[in-house]
Amino acid sequence: MRRLIALTLVALCLSAGAAFARGVGIGAFAGMSVPVLQEDVDKGNMFGVRVPVNLVPLFTVEPYYASAALGEATESVGDIDYTREGFDEKAYGVNAMLTLGGPVTFYPYAGVGQTSLKRTGFDDSFTTFNFGLGLGISPAPKLSLHLRGELQTVVDGEASRKFGNVTVGASYALFSMP
Amino acid sequence: MIKNLRLWLPVTMLAALIASGCMLVSGQFIVPFKFIDVGADPVTVNSSTSLSGVAVDLNTVDVYADHKGDLKDVVDLALLGNLTNLDSGAGLTVEVWMVPTPGTMLTTDAAVRGATGAIKVWGPVTVAASGSKNIGWDESAALFTGRKQLIDEIKGDGRFDLYALGNNGYHFRITKGVLMAVISAGK
Repeated sequence: MRRLIALTLVALCLSAGAAFARGVGIGAFAGMSVPVLQEDVDKGNMFGVRVPVNLVPLFTVEPYYASAALGEATESVGDIDYTREGFDEKAYGVNAMLTLGGPVTFYPYAGVGQTSLKRTGFDDSFTTFNFGLGLGISPAPKLSLHLRGELQTVVDGEASRKFGNVTVGASYALFSMP
Repeated sequence: MIKNLRLWLPVTMLAALIASGCMLVSGQFIVPFKFIDVGADPVTVNSSTSLSGVAVDLNTVDVYADHKGDLKDVVDLALLGNLTNLDSGAGLTVEVWMVPTPGTMLTTDAAVRGATGAIKVWGPVTVAASGSKNIGWDESAALFTGRKQLIDEIKGDGRFDLYALGNNGYHFRITKGVLMAVISAGK
């Protein structure tokens, strides 16, 4: 139910934004997710899609969906190695970005969303905050390439799980106002 | 409108920074409690009236002791080791019960089940006659049934007793036993 509500909100945000957007694009990305101070899981690959919606000059909102396959952790106890499988992670949410024009741009962004973590004996969803910095390069009209680094904080009660994510991606402008 | 939107971004970033920053030094740490450290390796049970329990004191594990003051949650639990059915005539089903208040070790199945606050926390797992089974982390994590009660104990004083209860021939052995807990801790 929470997922349905969140998806509906994202869809509403996207449709409302698109109604008066100055530009809408679509993009894909892939990279690495590295757990920070988490002994029970290891780094893994991630990928996803983004839909940047430029609402006003300098300001873009970006619904996203991401998936990661985090690696297994191994703990040696005595002379035996015990292995715990990594999480299957699904995340979605919305980023807000301070975007400048031009062929090369740096842009800070922050976002909020929902992350589900699943492995044998564990399946739960959490509110997620993320913030980071992106580098965008536009080698051709309508096309831009992006390198991003972000800290993703998955809030679990009084504690949190944190991930450092590094991704590269490409976006294509479906339409944009001059 | 534009001013509002431009204000929204730094406010969102600030909120995210605060949310992340407040928990920046939190992490997930593995706490392995080895049964051998309390002389419980192997744990051999020959009948329902001659049990052998494990007196768990997580305070003896450095990781737990280091983070006990800032422990926020227990996010993963597993009982690991090798379970051998010493009965050649029948299969064996074992489950693990927790007695939250440590004291004189109990020796009978009935006493464990009747102890104050006693609850089944793990299992069952089945082993064929004369069979042996290595219980791995993933399999074991899925077998916890009394997570909340055990988590409360770990978040409390970290001391409790565990007992393996069986059936049929009630004749089994646990070797290399480990209670593996993953705690969330942070300031």
